[in-house]
Amino acid sequence: MTSAVSTSGLTKRYGRRTALRDCTLDLPAGHVVGLVGPNGAGKSTLLQLTCGLLAPTDGTIAVLGGPPANGSARIGFVAQDTPVYVGLTVAEHLRMGAHLNPAWDRQLAESRIADLGLDPGQKAGRLSGGQRAQLALTMAVAKHPELLLLDEPVAALDPLARREFLQGLMEFAADQGVSVIMSSHLVADLERVCDYLVVLVGSRVRMTGEVDELLGTHHRLTGARRAEVPAGPGVEVVYASHTDVQSSLIVRSSAPIDDPAWTADPVDLEDMVLAYLTEAGRPGRERTLESHR
Amino acid sequence: MIWLTWRQFRTQALVGAVLLAVVAAALLATAPGLFDRYHDSGFAGCATGCAQLAQAFTDDVLRGATKTFYRVGVAVLFLLPALVGVFWGAPLVARELEAGTHRLVWSQTITRSRWLIVKLTGVGLAVILLTGLISLLVTWWSGPIDEAQGDRITPLLFAARGVVPLGHAALAFVIGVLTGLIARRAVLAMGITLLLVAAVQIAVPTLIRPLLASPVSSTAAFDPERIDGISISNDSVMRVSLQPPVAGAWVLSNRTVDARGDEFRGPADRTKCGREGSPEVCEGWLQAQNLRQEASYVPPGQFWSLQWRELGVLAALTVLIAMFSFWWLRRRTT
Repeated sequence: MTSAVSTSGLTKRYGRRTALRDCTLDLPAGHVVGLVGPNGAGKSTLLQLTCGLLAPTDGTIAVLGGPPANGSARIGFVAQDTPVYVGLTVAEHLRMGAHLNPAWDRQLAESRIADLGLDPGQKAGRLSGGQRAQLALTMAVAKHPELLLLDEPVAALDPLARREFLQGLMEFAADQGVSVIMSSHLVADLERVCDYLVVLVGSRVRMTGEVDELLGTHHRLTGARRAEVPAGPGVEVVYASHTDVQSSLIVRSSAPIDDPAWTADPVDLEDMVLAYLTEAGRPGRERTLESHR
Repeated sequence: MIWLTWRQFRTQALVGAVLLAVVAAALLATAPGLFDRYHDSGFAGCATGCAQLAQAFTDDVLRGATKTFYRVGVAVLFLLPALVGVFWGAPLVARELEAGTHRLVWSQTITRSRWLIVKLTGVGLAVILLTGLISLLVTWWSGPIDEAQGDRITPLLFAARGVVPLGHAALAFVIGVLTGLIARRAVLAMGITLLLVAAVQIAVPTLIRPLLASPVSSTAAFDPERIDGISISNDSVMRVSLQPPVAGAWVLSNRTVDARGDEFRGPADRTKCGREGSPEVCEGWLQAQNLRQEASYVPPGQFWSLQWRELGVLAALTVLIAMFSFWWLRRRTT
């Protein structure tokens, strides 16, 4: 098992609107993959293509080595807004899971619900946003998937519930060794849990790679204004901002930058992702960026 | 999936069971009295003078509560398809698509086709059971009155008797499901379903049922005894309608024509049929006009063959719409 998800030229159009354009990815199994991008970047579309809820307009996608299939026992999916049946109780959700999934882990489901302090007799419609998300996650993990997909699972949660949810997710991923792909428009959410990152902007993949490697190859450079921009093989300026006296760059380079005109500092994940998101928002720079590759 | 279908449907099922219980209680309570009077009237198993006995029997029973129940029985079966389509069919899928819970349930280990098969079959069987039992009760209870009036093939009764209500209810149910699947909003789907079911209820007796029946054409000489009504307008245009050739038949057309075969329209002879004349004089004048009655009708004896044919057509439409729903679910629903 090497690839959790592998796509080639994957494209999804709704009428005239292109939600995902020419996406080529290879996400290795065994990672917690963060899918980050602004709203409308195509994160939900990519996840729904992966779990077979959507069919691609063009291109190919293989999930766990086969075509994506809705209703597969190998994939767990927590949809956006973590839908649950408002009229069913927590216990009835677990009963539904047991009826509909051959590999259902009753013990895992029940102990998770107990650990979370949820009342099994409570109607799901009366749960708080955090509890709802936890119930939806429980439904997805108790079917014992090999690949767990989560679409903005914490978007509607307060910071405490967010932390608890991500904590639970990390424990599960570590215990079971499943591959996880989780989308968010907030890098801070992903920073805690993800070891692999995909940045989607404007329906395109902008960047992908292991977090450690990405952090090791991105640098913040500061120097006098209009200092010559460092160039060379494998050096790419992701983002540049200038004040009257100084310039600040985010640069991707496999080799360390030892240009005396610039001071190099490490970047954190948020700064790095924001550099990509900001730069993509400037249409003029996009072409330059493309040519740097 | 069967458990989930039942769990989601049980409130609606309870409402259906209550409706069934109310209908059953009302009809079972009044049935002994109705059947006693049927047997006591002499109409049951009559050999001679049946028409008079039938009239006397209906005059006797179609009063008060019995008359109300007789009418309500018809009304319930005409409304049932709309109720089933709007409250059981339309929300079945639309509610899931609206709340997003389809993404939850399709993420379990179940294909969406199987999900819909179980829902359609489970609730569809409930539709058939409810409609079948109510139609059975109403058809049985109304039996003596229908026998006396002999008119259950007419459009006002036909779809409230026998097996045809099953077809209408099943068709309305799948229309509701498909509308919900396409509209993706429960309330919108319910409204559209109501309109569509009403359209079907109008189109079937006016457009489809005449094609399924084998109408009998008859031509008879004008008989003043059979005059049903006469109208004369100010410009002497006269219309004469005659009673249909067979009592209780479903009359498709009934025309009074002149010697050339055109519909008789006068002009009326004012001295005979106006204020100066009298009914007898006018009838005599009409008889001299060489009129004929040309009628086309479906005799009451075709009731069961027409019932099964209409059920067949409705069942075929139901299957087609159900198959289209599966296609739509697989190809067009996200």
